[in-house]
Amino acid sequence: MTELIQALIFGVLTGSVYALMATGLTLTFGVMKIVNLAQGAFLILAAYLCYTLWAHLGIDPLLGSLIVTVPLGVLGAGVYRLIVERVQRTDHGLTIVVTFAIALVAEAIIALVWGPDPVTATPAYFNKAFHLGSVSVPAAQLYACLLAVAITVLLQAALRRTWLGHAITAAAENPDGARLVGVEPKKIGTWIFAIATATTAFGGAALSFLYQFTPDSQDVWIGLTLSVVIVGGLGSVTGAFAAGVLLGLAESVTSTYVSVRWAAAVPTILILLVLLIRPQGLFTLAARQDAAA
Amino acid sequence: MSLPMTGPVADVSKSGYQGYELWAAQVNADGGLLGRKVKLDMLDDGFDPNQTAADYTRLISQDHVNLLLGTFSSLLNAPASAIAARQGMLYVEPSGGAATLFTRGFTDLFFAQPGTTTSLPDQFVAWIASLPASQRPATAAYVTQDDPSASPAVAVFRTRLQALGVKTVYYQVYDPSTTNFDSIATAIAHDRPQMIIQGAVADDGAQFVRSLQKIDYNPKILFQTNAPTDEAYPSAIGGAASANGVFTAQSWSSTATYPGNQGFVQAYTKMFGAPPTEDAANSYTAGQVLQAAVKAVGSLDQQALANWLHNHTVSTIVGPLKWDKAGDPEGSLLLSQWQHGTLQIVAPASAATSTTILLTKPAWGNG
Repeated sequence: MTELIQALIFGVLTGSVYALMATGLTLTFGVMKIVNLAQGAFLILAAYLCYTLWAHLGIDPLLGSLIVTVPLGVLGAGVYRLIVERVQRTDHGLTIVVTFAIALVAEAIIALVWGPDPVTATPAYFNKAFHLGSVSVPAAQLYACLLAVAITVLLQAALRRTWLGHAITAAAENPDGARLVGVEPKKIGTWIFAIATATTAFGGAALSFLYQFTPDSQDVWIGLTLSVVIVGGLGSVTGAFAAGVLLGLAESVTSTYVSVRWAAAVPTILILLVLLIRPQGLFTLAARQDAAA
Repeated sequence: MSLPMTGPVADVSKSGYQGYELWAAQVNADGGLLGRKVKLDMLDDGFDPNQTAADYTRLISQDHVNLLLGTFSSLLNAPASAIAARQGMLYVEPSGGAATLFTRGFTDLFFAQPGTTTSLPDQFVAWIASLPASQRPATAAYVTQDDPSASPAVAVFRTRLQALGVKTVYYQVYDPSTTNFDSIATAIAHDRPQMIIQGAVADDGAQFVRSLQKIDYNPKILFQTNAPTDEAYPSAIGGAASANGVFTAQSWSSTATYPGNQGFVQAYTKMFGAPPTEDAANSYTAGQVLQAAVKAVGSLDQQALANWLHNHTVSTIVGPLKWDKAGDPEGSLLLSQWQHGTLQIVAPASAATSTTILLTKPAWGNG
């Protein structure tokens, strides 16, 4: 029983971090229908920035993420206005190619700046754990989980209760109608990219002290975050959170009771099941999507 | 040679290549080989076995290199040495100690380390056997990357330690792409083994330790292959205090008194601004082996070079090397332990740099 509880705790904690990393992709993929393959590179860039703030200035990665959101937000806006938006006008399908190219360039630049060696931040709490009887709750993962919950709540509130949030939702559901009421898609697209890229700061912060990473670590994380978005449903921030937790739980339980090797196949199996049973994603607002169609 | 200069073991390969660079620079400063300057033709395989095979084919067929030097890991050296054997080329490898590499009937393959996978556990198991029964660990967990060097070594550990009465409570083989060890660490902590043996290849060693640290699980004894010999290992797991007490096996030590070793350490440090790693030393050793054969034979006749190596002992910075017919060295590796920020040799006694062995690993960060 203890083993099961421990596996479930780990699943929730790990899954919430997956969700945190997938938040930005949920917005660009879900709302703008752009598969931003550069999101993994932005995540690694954020991790390196948080790591650098910790290594050189002693700033805790969780606090450092607040600083890192600013340059990443600017980067996201710049990438959209200068590259993605122009390509999108020519052929929407080409956006996946151009974001892949951006990911490759970003990886090369990161390698040039920080080198190929694996790095990781080790804040004071990284090797601490809370013990509840024979069950352990790692402090670092608990803090990352709390950050994920906070970001999800804040983002969801912003989408539902601010003008920008309403504009983003409107542009996603009915671009022509949104334009009629003064919502400029180009401007909204810039905001979405800026917010989506800025949120990678939080996922990057968690990554910086939970795992070792190198410039090419993006390959691992982009696949995982895409899985979260597909399982959760396009454009649903809370759906992405739930999907991340589900994925974490499935991996953890599979590792514990089946095999670590099978755990690596869990994202793929989940995607296949979701596409077969509920193609719109487990937690997305299917009625809204249908209405828009 | 072809090396994984990019990809998951790029950090290891960089110092490995520097070992080759130093060897070539010293040979050239000394007049070269057979009166000709040594020029390194290095290709990047990205840690891909297929690319490695393609690279060695290109080196032989298109670049027409005169001599081959090996790449890193058994995973890559297996296809590379097969290409070399097919083309009748001598192949001296700096790593790639999996026993399976020496059972293919190749006669032109030579491993430039004192021992292979099979002999890796020798010193550690001998130390455990030497402990009084009351101090021997009663239980052990084994985890290993699915790697041609690491997993057979861990299997040997398990067999020999079980023979000593150490009960296996956990055994797991993980995929090379595994980056999250939380589940493994949790399962191990649940079984509470006194000793953990990990077949680590590179970063997986530190990643696994971090997962143990996250749940605050401290085994009494921790042995990891390869990973702890990386100079970045202590910082990757939270500092020297966390590394204290961790065991590993080494093919080379900077403090060993073998001829040329201290000169190698000084020259490398001067050339690259940092002390050499084990991988740098292994590359340098491979160069020494090749150089000895070419100088003795006086030609680039690949068969003659291989014949000479089969019949002679070569003095290197990892000690005298002698091979059997399959190119398997007839020695064993050193047992080392992190002690207060230094990786000390603790066995065999003839090579030991520390007479103390920490029987119980201190709690993480309290070493």
